[in-house]
Amino acid sequence: MKKTHIAVIVLIALGIAAILSTFTDASTYVSFPLAEKNAGKQFTVIGYLDKEADMNYMPERNQFSFTALDKEGNERKVIYFQPKPQDFERSEEITMKGFATDTAFVAEQILMKCPSKYNESTEVDNTYN
Amino acid sequence: MQYLNEHTFIGALGHFFVVLAFVTALIATLSYYFYHKSDELQWRKMARTSFYIHALAVLGIVGSLYVMIFGHYFEYQYVWQHSSVDLPLYYLISCMWEGQEGSFLLWIFFQVILGLLFMRKAGKWEATTMTLYASVQVFLVSMLLGTYFFGTKIGSSPFILIRQLPEYVGLPFLQNPDYLSAPQFQNGRGLNPLLQNYWMVIHPPTLFLGFASTLPPFVFAMAALWRKKYDEWLKPALPWTYFSVMILGTGILMGGAWAYEALSFGGFWAWDPVENAILVPWLTLVGAAHLMLIQKNKGGNLMSTFVLTFITFLLILYSTFLTRSGVLGDSSVHAFVDLGLNGQLLLYLFFYIILAFGTLFYHWRWLPKATTDDRLWSREFWMFIGALTLTISSFQVTFTTSIPVINKVTAGLLNPFLTTFGWSEVAELAPPIDVIEHYNSWQLPFALLITFLIGFTQFLKYKKTEFGKFLTNIGMSLGLALALTVLLAYAWGFSNALYTAMLFTSLFAVVANTDYWMRILKGNLDYAGASIAHIGFGLIMLGALVANAQKEVISENPTYIAKDFPANENILMELGDTMQMGSYYVSWKGERKEGLNRIFEIDYYKSDGTGGLEKEFTLEPFIQLNEQMGNVAEPSTKHFLTRDIYSHITYAEPEEVRAEKMATGYGREADMEMAIGDSAIYNRHFVILDSLALDPNRSRYEDGQPMNLALVAFLTVINVSGERFSAQPAYLVEGNEVTLEESIVEASGLKFRFDDVNPDNGKVKLKAFTDVSEEKEFIVMKAVIFPYINLLWLGCIIMIIGTVMAIRKRLQRN
Repeated sequence: MKKTHIAVIVLIALGIAAILSTFTDASTYVSFPLAEKNAGKQFTVIGYLDKEADMNYMPERNQFSFTALDKEGNERKVIYFQPKPQDFERSEEITMKGFATDTAFVAEQILMKCPSKYNESTEVDNTYN
Repeated sequence: MQYLNEHTFIGALGHFFVVLAFVTALIATLSYYFYHKSDELQWRKMARTSFYIHALAVLGIVGSLYVMIFGHYFEYQYVWQHSSVDLPLYYLISCMWEGQEGSFLLWIFFQVILGLLFMRKAGKWEATTMTLYASVQVFLVSMLLGTYFFGTKIGSSPFILIRQLPEYVGLPFLQNPDYLSAPQFQNGRGLNPLLQNYWMVIHPPTLFLGFASTLPPFVFAMAALWRKKYDEWLKPALPWTYFSVMILGTGILMGGAWAYEALSFGGFWAWDPVENAILVPWLTLVGAAHLMLIQKNKGGNLMSTFVLTFITFLLILYSTFLTRSGVLGDSSVHAFVDLGLNGQLLLYLFFYIILAFGTLFYHWRWLPKATTDDRLWSREFWMFIGALTLTISSFQVTFTTSIPVINKVTAGLLNPFLTTFGWSEVAELAPPIDVIEHYNSWQLPFALLITFLIGFTQFLKYKKTEFGKFLTNIGMSLGLALALTVLLAYAWGFSNALYTAMLFTSLFAVVANTDYWMRILKGNLDYAGASIAHIGFGLIMLGALVANAQKEVISENPTYIAKDFPANENILMELGDTMQMGSYYVSWKGERKEGLNRIFEIDYYKSDGTGGLEKEFTLEPFIQLNEQMGNVAEPSTKHFLTRDIYSHITYAEPEEVRAEKMATGYGREADMEMAIGDSAIYNRHFVILDSLALDPNRSRYEDGQPMNLALVAFLTVINVSGERFSAQPAYLVEGNEVTLEESIVEASGLKFRFDDVNPDNGKVKLKAFTDVSEEKEFIVMKAVIFPYINLLWLGCIIMIIGTVMAIRKRLQRN
């Protein structure tokens, strides 16, 4: 067997390993109740901010808490140990990576989608007539 | 209807140029194809003429768009969306590529410019290569057509009037022939303030020139197969490939520099899908360039050379699909809006995948195969291993980045199939929680291997190297790199074995290539391109490693929360206070407003050794109040030769909140929605809504109709020691006027006010406030020290210089 062949076999093996590791490392999009079934395990929840509920940022502890609704409409308190993201109120969708505890979902990372972010729609005020 | 003051001519002209560019590209493709088939010169004449007209038409599109932008013709959607009257010249120029249509146009433009040069230089390859080259132009220009073909949208035109957009057709404002004099048409939305940065002027053009530059190597490789001249294409293709390596690499690094300088990602590389999408083709391109070199000098790996050259171009198309189809929406901070062109982008991608790999498969039987095995101690063998490593590295990045695409495929193809058999659906995958850790765990070993290979491969000769002599030559660099590693790892306290190994290999890459250039090439500049580019790459890796491994978050929250909690990475600063932060003392001196930016002045001090403080420098991180994107924090960095001090504001009270605090002395607003009997907890107090009643003294009826109303909420407030207080905020209605009467509980420093009354469910909304007149203003900041990050930037420059030298040498040899 040629050395190149060995190299190609190693390449394929590494490729398969990379695929497997992606699937192992990948988290899944879940609802809050599913995350709670495996409290402590990391998940990604996509949801929306409950704009009616309390939102509280305590700068001295650097703790931000809010209430989120997941895509199935389950409502949970979320705690985020980071400064309150800029313009959080305006977020349209929130991607929360973190884990469930018995009192709240602890988000380690938050990604927000704002309605206007890279918004390409033309919002010309058309009240003129 | 005839509308007044519209500049419809320029839009029609622009659109005409788009159609002309499309048609001429098509004619050029066909006539070049016939020229390729027949070798008749009249076809060449026709093809060249159409390509020249095509080039003029593309310039016409760019020109028309600029006439519209510079003339502020806000009746055009693209102009209204991306420009405004107040922008300076250089931003008006960059308005063109803010939108998707414009960035396609930029790509087309550069591809045409390169194409004109390519056409003149291609010589005997012209017929075949230009057939493909022009066909790519056909596809790209079709992205700007903006027409419907049997109900399918083909392209998106930048020459559409706002009134032609489907959402505005038939609206009342269009009944007025003079609708353009309305205030909303006097100015556009402008260039997103976040992008108003000099990087916006230089980064996209470099990147799109990089996109365009991957086409010449691709068309050369395809032409080589079509014409069965499997080896001859390498010589003319190499300088183009090196050029592409340089430009695309520069574009990527500029993106990193932009992110580091002006965006608060907290570093220069975040493994964001958009960054990955463009890094990957560069990796395969570098691999392809090296395989082309091996093939040219020694032969034997034609197949892999073709594959990597094809894949590079196809990955550029794939990354275009990823970033423009909206598929990355949930996983990237740069989300792009779907223009509804996915089908077209996919068609384009699959067309070239099938064409390229179909051709390769068909020619498989004629490709010369290597008969002998590579020797272990030969340059070609280790270069091949290097190219394989780059391939697998790019595969790993692509695969994880493609998670959203995998989801689409499972949802669209696999799940319907599974459910028909009664099996459960495959769950939707999300990107790894710790994306950076996931990529680093794979890419660090690859980088380690690559830097090591870069170090010794040049010392090997093609075909055969005497092992003993090789060892003597390389020994010095090995020893020096090892000594430096021990020294630096000790000085910096490196404990991670992988980091230490990487420190060694990147030092080895730098030292060995310097040695090779000085000793073997005797400092000759003519042949030094490769060595110098490799020194640059080694320095980039070294800088990235040290800056990341040794980075130190110095902003710590002195309040203990929990060990290793991210909350500890931010410092809370009150106005005027001086706090210790790492080896510095910092003080927030004040805030000022410049345009959209709230700029915070942060002074950094060093202890002068006698108990006093000495001011070192001031950083001015700011928050941009960006209407289009929300508020964005932008960092401020102090650059020293050996380290950067990077800081950005992670929280500042919104201006309205602060203004309210200043005016009333109350803050920490909270909402409570309550029915009678409900209780709430606010700021360590129990708040109970005992009853709601109309105050008879302040309510007045006339003919049975209420004229004045005073709704009072009777609240009981209980503090932690059980003391009870009462509060009675009121909701007053006099005619059409609503007045909200506040109620203050002095003893506990609380204030209550009505917000709203909901007669449907009998609930009231109340707002609670706390006395904050004693509280100082504060901000929360994060500060990080990146040591030796300048090595990375230095490496970039050296790598670019080295590549330019290599291109020059290749051109001389041709």
